[in-house]
Amino acid sequence: MLTLNNLLNNFWKLIPIFCLFIFISPLIFVLGSLLGEFNDNWSHLIEYVLPSYVSNSLILIIGVSILSLILGVGTAWFVTNFDFFGKSWLEWAIILPLAIPPYILAYTFTGLFDSYGSANEIVRYLFNLESSFIFFPNVRNIYGAIVVFSFTLYPYVYLTTRMAFLNQSRSLMEAGKLLGNSTRLLFFRLAVPLVRPAIIAGLALVIMETLSDFGAVEHFAIQTFTTGIFRTWYGMYDLSTAMQLSSFLLIFVAIFIFLERSERSKMSYSYANSTFKKTDSLKLVGLKNFFAFLFCFLPLFIGFILPIIELLNWAVFFPSENFLSNNLISTLFNTIVLGVTAGILCTIFALLINFLKRFHKSWLLDFSSQLLTLGYALPGIILAIGIIKFFSFLDKSFINLLLEVTLLGSLIGLMLAYVIKAYALASNTIESGFLRINNSIDDVSLSLKKTKLEIFFKIHIPLMKTSILTSLLLVISEVIKELPATLILRPFNFDTLAVTTYIYASEERMYEAASPAIMIVLIGLIPIIFLSKIIRDSRPGS
Amino acid sequence: MAKEVLKIVNLSFAYKKNKDIFSNINFSLFEGEILGILGPSGTGKSSLLRLIAGLEKPSEGEIYYYGNEISGKNKFLPPHKRGIGLVLQEKVLFPHLNSLENVKFGIKGSKKDRKEKALDFLRLLKAEKFSQSFPNSLSGGEQQRVAIARTLAPEPKLVLLDEPFSSLDKGLRTALREETKELFRKTNTSCIIVTHDREDAEIMCDKVLKLEEGKIMEALFSS
Repeated sequence: MLTLNNLLNNFWKLIPIFCLFIFISPLIFVLGSLLGEFNDNWSHLIEYVLPSYVSNSLILIIGVSILSLILGVGTAWFVTNFDFFGKSWLEWAIILPLAIPPYILAYTFTGLFDSYGSANEIVRYLFNLESSFIFFPNVRNIYGAIVVFSFTLYPYVYLTTRMAFLNQSRSLMEAGKLLGNSTRLLFFRLAVPLVRPAIIAGLALVIMETLSDFGAVEHFAIQTFTTGIFRTWYGMYDLSTAMQLSSFLLIFVAIFIFLERSERSKMSYSYANSTFKKTDSLKLVGLKNFFAFLFCFLPLFIGFILPIIELLNWAVFFPSENFLSNNLISTLFNTIVLGVTAGILCTIFALLINFLKRFHKSWLLDFSSQLLTLGYALPGIILAIGIIKFFSFLDKSFINLLLEVTLLGSLIGLMLAYVIKAYALASNTIESGFLRINNSIDDVSLSLKKTKLEIFFKIHIPLMKTSILTSLLLVISEVIKELPATLILRPFNFDTLAVTTYIYASEERMYEAASPAIMIVLIGLIPIIFLSKIIRDSRPGS
Repeated sequence: MAKEVLKIVNLSFAYKKNKDIFSNINFSLFEGEILGILGPSGTGKSSLLRLIAGLEKPSEGEIYYYGNEISGKNKFLPPHKRGIGLVLQEKVLFPHLNSLENVKFGIKGSKKDRKEKALDFLRLLKAEKFSQSFPNSLSGGEQQRVAIARTLAPEPKLVLLDEPFSSLDKGLRTALREETKELFRKTNTSCIIVTHDREDAEIMCDKVLKLEEGKIMEALFSS
């Protein structure tokens, strides 16, 4: 019999499915475009630009993957296994480049290394050279983009790999040594193969971020899938072809995620077993000590310190009128309100869905929850196109008629894009928070006559304060950096820090771009510092 | 004659279809009685307690509590409405609350009454001196004292103990089981204790049933 209680119980269980429906609808509209007609613009695309979209995107992915692997895995190996100068602060400082979005590093790179950029000026000044002398090579090309992406995104590989290295047992390494392998051989033959799934998990994030990027590749004038979608839409005024292009990118991303997830399911073999012994650090001296320091410091210097110096140089020595102007303050306010709202929404959804998962074992709940986290991999531009089509459908169907409002062009679309994109960050954090609470605590609480809701508020929430805060901060930092979706979906005359930075940079007004860019970095630094603290506190075998 | 607190009728339990953990179990528990369930690991002793507490649903059979059906084919009373206490082998004190707050957690009433009652139970378990300590600063034995005080404080008519002393050293184990038994006697609380240790069962229980190969094999002894 259907009682009110049953109805309420099922209502809660329907929330993830409802969220899934809302999350997926924009993508269905994008993929639906493949069923439509492929118009004449396709012959132009295929003949002139599509090959370069594909080849550039592939070169970018391959180049960034290789360099990020070297930087991420290399630094993780050094800080986990060796003692060298600066290790104590480098082990957490290495992730600081995560606070710099690739497009901001791209702007500062051109500011530094262009013919009349700061770096070339310094070299000319130091060696008293002519003004036509150019020391640093041109960075406005695909190789420059590879460097930019690798030096901002390698911390993803570092984070996952370091965690896996920490869980690697000394006994395994000792067994490898007894079988005649040097430390270098052990790295290639044992350590890396054992943590392969962790490396792939980090690398997947790097590749997805590279594929989604719009600001950096646009600044370097590299034709990739993302800039191609944008140009087809805004240059050729052809939304349906732009959607069809997006669909192909979406299919590629889906296949990639599938492969990554199947690889991740093998991850458990790298974890510690009952015979775990922590790995001892080997003290390095002399040249080796210096090399290890240099190897770990260089990515931090290029990915974080250098852009910060250049941004501060612009902001302090070339102060523009708009530095801390009313306009910029209101832009900062808009950005923070959007970030905090998205953070709260994502965290509430994540709490609700993971709480339901804890008490109701159901494949449908697990499946919807898994699917919801895939939003992170979606390029912002595809999301934006999907949401525009979805909302215009809703507006035309009934929203206009019933409520006399328009969803299209409102902040709701932008918020939806943020929530879809950042939900995975919140969900992963909250899920691991729930996993740390022993299930027996729930059992005992139930036996003490507490309802599930009371357990949620009196036990789970107080025990998950750190997870909730981390989730909020991660979402806020993601939202603040997001560029393509914001650029397309923001209401008229509504600016955020990312959009303002992009607009100034696209007009080559770099000095004016400095202050919003610094603000993005500062806000982005908060969760990174928080994360660094967690890294500092995590000690092997403890 | 003592009242029948719990009646288990043809109880079966399976985690997966056709994979019975145990089947057709029958027994009764009377007021003030301490019943032991003895058996090797993996025979479903803990599952039996979880069914009585309402943390799992039986695949077949019924459970009656003071004559009322609480688990059956068409009836299921959720755990928070049963009022049956549970003490587990694992230390599951709420880590963000101190000992006193842990014990207060299940008590209803005014703030003052709750505090007094919680202190009374901590005193009964000789745990009042660490009432302000948080679980991470307590030893295994101290944590188990607080856990038992927390279970008894709401004054349940029936308490389920799942291997409560197995992680304690011998001296502490002997002291705590005797004190606990005495406390149950004093408060006339009925109790089911699940253990794989024959000595635990013999010292604490009035009646001991042996669970083996998914069946209640025999009553080892009955006082």
